[in-house]
Amino acid sequence: MKKPLSTLFLASLILLLGGCGQAENDGAGEATSAAAETATAAGVDAEVEAYYAANPDFFGFKTPADLPPDLEWTSNEHLPEIGSPEARKGGTQYGALQDFPRTLRTVGPDSNGGFRPFLLDDVGMTLAHVHPETLELYPGLAESWAVDWENQTVYTRLDPAATWSDGEPITADDYLFMFWFYRSPYIMAPWYNNFYSTKYTNITRYDDHTISISMAERKPDMDELGVLLRPVPRHFYRQMDDDFSERYQWEFEPTPGPYIVRDQDIRKGRSIALTRLENWWARDKKHWRYRFNPDRIQLSIIRDAAKMFEAFKRGDIDQFGLGLAEYWYEKLPDSDPDVQAGYIHKTVFHNQRPRPPFGLWINTAQPLLDNRDIRVGIAHATNWDMVIENFFRGDNERLDTANDGFGEFSHPTLKAREFDIARAQEHFARAGFNRRGADGILVNEAGQKLSFNLSTGYETMRDVLTILRQEAAKAGLDLRLEVLDGTVGWKQVQEKQHEISFLAFGRFLEKYPRFWEHYHSDNAWDRAFLEDGSVNPERQPKTQTNNLEAFALLEMDQLIERYRASSEREEMIALSHQMIALHHDHASFIPGFYQGFFRVGHWRWVRYPEGFSYKHSDGPGELFVHWIDSEMKEETLAARRSGKTFEPSITVYDQWAE
Amino acid sequence: MFSLNPQTRKKLQRFRKIKRGYYSFLLLAGLGVLLAFGELLINSRALIVSYQGQLYFPTYSDFHPGTDFGLDYAYETNYRELQVHFRQQDEGNWVLLPLVPYNPYENHAPGGIFRPLPPNAAEQHYLGTDTTSRDILARLFYGTRIALVFALLFTACVYVIGITIGCAMGYFGGVFDLILQRIIEIWSNVPFLYMVIIIFSVIPSSVAVTTRIGILLLVMVLFSWTGMTYYMRTETYKEKSRDYIASARVIGASNARIIFRHIMPNVLSTLVTFMPFTIVAAISAITALDFLGFGLPAPTPSLGELLKQGTANLRTAPWIVISAFGTLVALLTLVTFIGEAIRESFDPRTFSVYR
Repeated sequence: MKKPLSTLFLASLILLLGGCGQAENDGAGEATSAAAETATAAGVDAEVEAYYAANPDFFGFKTPADLPPDLEWTSNEHLPEIGSPEARKGGTQYGALQDFPRTLRTVGPDSNGGFRPFLLDDVGMTLAHVHPETLELYPGLAESWAVDWENQTVYTRLDPAATWSDGEPITADDYLFMFWFYRSPYIMAPWYNNFYSTKYTNITRYDDHTISISMAERKPDMDELGVLLRPVPRHFYRQMDDDFSERYQWEFEPTPGPYIVRDQDIRKGRSIALTRLENWWARDKKHWRYRFNPDRIQLSIIRDAAKMFEAFKRGDIDQFGLGLAEYWYEKLPDSDPDVQAGYIHKTVFHNQRPRPPFGLWINTAQPLLDNRDIRVGIAHATNWDMVIENFFRGDNERLDTANDGFGEFSHPTLKAREFDIARAQEHFARAGFNRRGADGILVNEAGQKLSFNLSTGYETMRDVLTILRQEAAKAGLDLRLEVLDGTVGWKQVQEKQHEISFLAFGRFLEKYPRFWEHYHSDNAWDRAFLEDGSVNPERQPKTQTNNLEAFALLEMDQLIERYRASSEREEMIALSHQMIALHHDHASFIPGFYQGFFRVGHWRWVRYPEGFSYKHSDGPGELFVHWIDSEMKEETLAARRSGKTFEPSITVYDQWAE
Repeated sequence: MFSLNPQTRKKLQRFRKIKRGYYSFLLLAGLGVLLAFGELLINSRALIVSYQGQLYFPTYSDFHPGTDFGLDYAYETNYRELQVHFRQQDEGNWVLLPLVPYNPYENHAPGGIFRPLPPNAAEQHYLGTDTTSRDILARLFYGTRIALVFALLFTACVYVIGITIGCAMGYFGGVFDLILQRIIEIWSNVPFLYMVIIIFSVIPSSVAVTTRIGILLLVMVLFSWTGMTYYMRTETYKEKSRDYIASARVIGASNARIIFRHIMPNVLSTLVTFMPFTIVAAISAITALDFLGFGLPAPTPSLGELLKQGTANLRTAPWIVISAFGTLVALLTLVTFIGEAIRESFDPRTFSVYR
């Protein structure tokens, strides 16, 4: 279920605002849930069955004899196994979260917080998963699958051994229920409602362990769409009504994965822990047996990043992300005694993924910013090279377009506009700003200052904006900084109140970039164009969409529609290049930087496989291939007391460096 | 009414005798003068530039593009580089820089990398630099100036509102007092911090930094004036029942005259006594708000912001927190010493038994 998350992540951030008070409500929620249990024990069953019956085209019921005979079943057995045979089970992994999870639900209000990877994204299971090395599919809950490209259908044989963490078997019914569940209004998740209603056209049950799923479009990633599906335990969601979000707020949903959250491990506001299932059904399966090794994952709540780092230095936390240069070079330099003594290992891993587009998103609906010359001027007046050199110390790279890292889909030759004061001034002059005021900022004939708000929701990136502001002033451009709280910053761009916003959208491992969300006029204005294609003079900005640039070009709309309708890879690539070039030309986005690696500091008892991680992985913990070596932990702690040292380890894994 | 009658003069003399407070006052006054002309001491603009026989004084003037001094850029001259440039040219041009040639906003990274630099006299970063290589001394200096100006304005506003309403309540009493007192009780229970957060989340981002500071001041005043009314109300109540007020009323003095000519001078000691502590409270409040991230908008230099940076880099850059904390402690101690001295010298009990 990785694909839609980039959008979902943002959508649910908004929901965070709406549902803050619910955490206190759990006691009452349980009481009502118990009462409702007796009252509506069979209630939702009837509703679900009725829904199946009312949508016979979508929910099919057939027999194994109805399966097409010539299907080519596969389970991609040739793929290299994930994880290391050296991994040992056991031990406790200690970590920290900045906020206590607001809910244990994985869907609905507040469910998309920092804890969800531990509930779902990193430890959950779908029918098949994308291999982090080759991007092919490897089996999860499915034993094998067959793709019928012609009929846009994926057939799947479920692994009969698969069970939920509460012991119930996982059957075809849980997949049918999944569609009902995600389409239900009770879950209060419009994005899910829409995705499961529009991307799929049919699910058919052949027997308890055979299903087929049909997709609405034949895209290059249609097979993934058909297998990256997570069943929903029908036996768990017996009562479904408008109280869904409160009733299941603190209920741990049975999982097919290896980790569960036990009630006694939820200490509200203080800590939460995951416990490994000793007899997990997939513990001997290929790709799964050497992963998910710690017996327990103990997560404390430490709200302050600086304190979290101190906890790491004390050994209370096993590992700490050192992505920021400040941590890598200053707070845990190679010369740090703990590093030099070999207690803490430092590791850099270069990966290959679609890159989050860090950069400046210019709201072209704002006055002055609707002028392309101004935007090009701003692009030439922002000194990203200095940001990269001075703030990131040369570790990051300049981003060239908003859609880098998509392989062939990314534009092969386009380069971002460089910092060039003369050219910036030339463009500003063309827009009428040709004179410097008393403070050195350009003004136009009307005496208007060339001044814009530059806002962000990333407090850690404050210094990036400070540098941009300093440098922009040289070109006569005044950038007023506004560093907001994360939620407020996101709200601002969703309300389209920003002028220039510094942010990035999370990018997941997708085969090709999305354009509709960011560049289609439908997401910029209500009725952007009139029938004849001219600009609608009365159009109003459309809020709550991800078109943050108010990007509306008829030409782009047409390209996007062709792209969406296309199922030919080559055509899509050509269209993608065309759209990226058009977007570049419009200059409403100023590409900033990307980080082509992740880096981490970890105590030596956190062990990783040879090669550390995988080509397309996102972070050290994502695949759970590490293990905790309890003996080594004792040895290290004893060594620390006695002053014994080990070989220092500062490793750069650049086998996948781009 | 604030003219120096013999009694007040006596009080001032007493104040001078309390050495600790008096020297604190002199120190702070000196600091005030320095702060007022801060641009001449700590600034990236040169004091004097002599170029081709002509003298320039850029400190308070419009900006000079580099082209004014024969450089090849149209943005503000970098006077430090200009000084080096002139020396190399050796054509009789010269630049006189302030003691600390940095302004509080510019990033000056000698190594090319933005990171905290320990105090370094050779680079003229006497207190080092912060995480984005801005001079700490410059930021402290201007941060203190803003905090002090903010605190003085805050005190003035709180006093004007508090005195007016407090006096009125005490003087008129009755239903007016009863109702207003209830309103104040309700008002003072509105959580101040939440209000600041809420208000700042709805202010449109296009509002200029100075306006935002003004709004912050307004919000703080709105939620702080109530404290002053309690004292003024009781003091006025007390004075009102004295005989001299009754005599004034018998003569036919108006309410305004009684309040401003008779009551106010007599409650002056209360007012003056509280003033330094109000200032202390204002400085602490603005620092705390900055520390929490709800105070002065970035990149305004502020003590709280430096403290926040300092605590986040306690291990790697202790000089940040030391300078910020030291300044804050020194500032608050000075004001408190002055406050104590004022209270002592204005306390009637030490030289009179009249009560």
